[in-house]
Amino acid sequence: MAEKKELEPERNGEQARIGVYVCHCGLNIAGSVDCEEVTKFAATLPQVVLAKDNRYTCSDQGQELIKNDIKEHKLNRVVVASCSPRLHEPTFRKACEEAGLNKYLLEMANIREQCSWVHLHDRITATEKAKDLVKMAVAKAALLQPAEEIEVPITRKALVIGGGVAGIQASLDLADTGYKVYLAEKEPSIGGMMARIDKTFPTMDCSICILAPKMSDIGHHPNIELLTNSEVVEVKGYIGNFNVKVMKKPRYVKSDCSACADCSEVCPVIAPNEFDVGLAIRHAIYTPFAQAVPSTYIIDMNRCLNKDGIIVCDKCIKACERQAIDFDMKPETAELQVGAIIVATGADVFDPSTLPNYGYGKYPNVITSLEFERLINAGGPSGGRLIRPSDMQIPKRVAFIQCVGSRSEKNGRLYCSNVCCMNTIKDSLLIKEHWPETEIFVFYVDIRAYGKGFEDLYRRARKEGAVFIRGLPAEIVEDRKTHNLWLIGEDTLQRELYKIGADMVILSIGLEPRKDSEIIQRLLTLSRTQDGFFMEAHPKLRPVDAATGGIFFAGCAEAPKDIKDSVTQASAAAARAGILMAKGKVTVEAITPISYIEQCKLCGLCTKVCPYNALALNKELKRVEIIEAACGGCGTCAAECPFGALTQNHFTDEQIFAQIDAVTEHDAENKIVAFCCNWCAYAGADFAGVNRMQYPPNVRIIRTMCSGRVAPKFVERAFLRGVATVLVAGCHPGDCHYINANHHTQKRIERLWKKMEQNGLNKERLQLLWASAAEGERFASKIREMQTIIEKVPPEEIGKAKKVFEKVSGEN
Amino acid sequence: MPERIRHPPLDIKKVKQPKAEIHLIKDQCKGCGFCIEFCPKKVIEESDEINARGVHPPKIVDESECKICSFCTIVCPDFAIFVTEKPCKDAC
Repeated sequence: MAEKKELEPERNGEQARIGVYVCHCGLNIAGSVDCEEVTKFAATLPQVVLAKDNRYTCSDQGQELIKNDIKEHKLNRVVVASCSPRLHEPTFRKACEEAGLNKYLLEMANIREQCSWVHLHDRITATEKAKDLVKMAVAKAALLQPAEEIEVPITRKALVIGGGVAGIQASLDLADTGYKVYLAEKEPSIGGMMARIDKTFPTMDCSICILAPKMSDIGHHPNIELLTNSEVVEVKGYIGNFNVKVMKKPRYVKSDCSACADCSEVCPVIAPNEFDVGLAIRHAIYTPFAQAVPSTYIIDMNRCLNKDGIIVCDKCIKACERQAIDFDMKPETAELQVGAIIVATGADVFDPSTLPNYGYGKYPNVITSLEFERLINAGGPSGGRLIRPSDMQIPKRVAFIQCVGSRSEKNGRLYCSNVCCMNTIKDSLLIKEHWPETEIFVFYVDIRAYGKGFEDLYRRARKEGAVFIRGLPAEIVEDRKTHNLWLIGEDTLQRELYKIGADMVILSIGLEPRKDSEIIQRLLTLSRTQDGFFMEAHPKLRPVDAATGGIFFAGCAEAPKDIKDSVTQASAAAARAGILMAKGKVTVEAITPISYIEQCKLCGLCTKVCPYNALALNKELKRVEIIEAACGGCGTCAAECPFGALTQNHFTDEQIFAQIDAVTEHDAENKIVAFCCNWCAYAGADFAGVNRMQYPPNVRIIRTMCSGRVAPKFVERAFLRGVATVLVAGCHPGDCHYINANHHTQKRIERLWKKMEQNGLNKERLQLLWASAAEGERFASKIREMQTIIEKVPPEEIGKAKKVFEKVSGEN
Repeated sequence: MPERIRHPPLDIKKVKQPKAEIHLIKDQCKGCGFCIEFCPKKVIEESDEINARGVHPPKIVDESECKICSFCTIVCPDFAIFVTEKPCKDAC
């Protein structure tokens, strides 16, 4: 511990009294950073009253220490040098508040994820970098201003999108808690994938038998309004106050329908039933399956003979005793006011016809695991007899192929789909149960039986005689006469080639993101991982929250998962939404823009770039009005303002300049100033740290909420101060956490590149990177790449840049 | 449901699909084209031949597509078209 008594007056007269706390995080930081030295260094920084280091700052003792010091030493700014602010900023903010200090007077230096963990083997430079990071944080802290958060009331109603098992569970939990729930389902009936599956693993329960009671509860629950055949078309508003438009497509059958099936019996039109993956037929007026909720029939207008309001065929109308059929039904738009939204949109299955070597779609006896589920289901098209499509005979030899559309670079799906291994094991046991003499071969890469009771089931399948062969077939060949199949490949355990005959092949297909996830993503301003599933706010500690406030995930929308996990997550999402609604109000983070009326020229550029329409030009009063509750807090408006009339709370121009100046005080010509957006690039850099990806230590990251906050003047200031290279990093286009704010980042960077070129500067010195929160390696390799660029930048070039940008700084 | 359908329905042969027999009384037709316009399955189209009234009567494109809604019979002003169901021994 080192203390320093002298104080320097702050610019605006108030004296900043900064306390710096350097955390060892056990050996996580102290293992590669000399924390005592960093502490000593921190004590020498201007306006720092005291600097201390301790083992775990986030522990109760650590927090108590901060609280006591705030009171005892009259600290009015706190800097914690520890892990990522994405992890513990809320913890330390709370500690500050408990000691009576406004929580916006805390600043963090990320010396774990972005320092000690990524420079494990270079203690000296890691320590130097940690010092720099602390210096930046102190420089910003001195300029921090207290801020009050505004409170927004919350509508105590929720919308659940998707009526699969996850959506059903979430709706029931919320409705039972006492909240009004709207459940919107795109298909004519709720039930989702689980309704189509025969048995569930590992308990071998009949899937629809355990789901149907829950489905019928949804139909009868007084707090649930079920909107089937409906799609969300518009979402406006913000946490606690969403205005949602749901388009209800007409069923053409009124709720008077008693589901007697008289209509479908007379309907002359037939079509494949999508619920049975086309293995059974349905009529143009139909119900997808017997247990459908609502049980009301529906007319498929793409198939019905009656088009454009002309009743050509009235057989169903005549057959319906209750006169429930109404061809005049029109689409309706329901406008809902909700406080929370649960996204339970589920997943699609992989289409194996894109893999020509397996011949799916060409060979009749190659089917998918979903088709198998319908075949083995007593309520399915074959009445529960596993028959092969070519000759309707029960197969004697069945082969399963695993990882079709999962864990493969060839088809771009690198992730494990989680359910297919156990599904196959379950399926093989089902076959053995019905037809014990059937020979079963399972071709796999790895069998992943990780859950409760899974290993037992796997053992049982082996004991029952299913043969597991490691190594996927390279190819399936068909005997044209008998339609029998030959599987050819290599057994990687025995190291020998195999050629195994089978009467039927079942492709264990993986799960993939819904093809229309993009629409939901756009409507709700969500982000997605590289795999295309929706991204949670924190993979460990906020696994059901979306980064956007008031939105939660349940089920396969977030990642492939089995029924149990979907239900667990659904209950968790319901609890999270319930907490929000029980509170009844929510505070909006005080990172909204501040406008300086006297500088404003009423050009309106800020209102054009705002993704939330939270800025309005008031020409009468000659000022820009800020609707704080609607503001997302990206800061794009502040970056766009050419007159410096707008800035962002907690990320002011001065604070960012102070950080840049702190970085560039020493040795600027060897450094990279990186502006990273909080949600993707900064999180990606954290991810690189979590995975201990090593990269050059000369990068200094400045966090902004969005890359859209990065004003050209920040980049220019960095070059003026003689920095070698600048990186601006944000979310992938289309993945922006603030709808499309990063679109403006790109434009600004392109303008800067042009300017650099015109002035004869090497435009490689300014780099733009799109990296998601999962792309740690992408971030790390960009830093490595920029290191090679630094080596190529001669001192003359840096001097030249200083001169070019000198003019700009004069304007600031 | 978003999956692409790759196998024909297994029970397609079990479903009794009525087989239609379309009867045209060509010389009674005045060529108004109502039957062609309103047929939901586009089973009939205008032919090249010329009938006794000097117009092109309809001709049958694909009888198996006909669902026997008999809307052509309803709209025909000249009673020139009607549909019957083929007896089951030929059809199913």
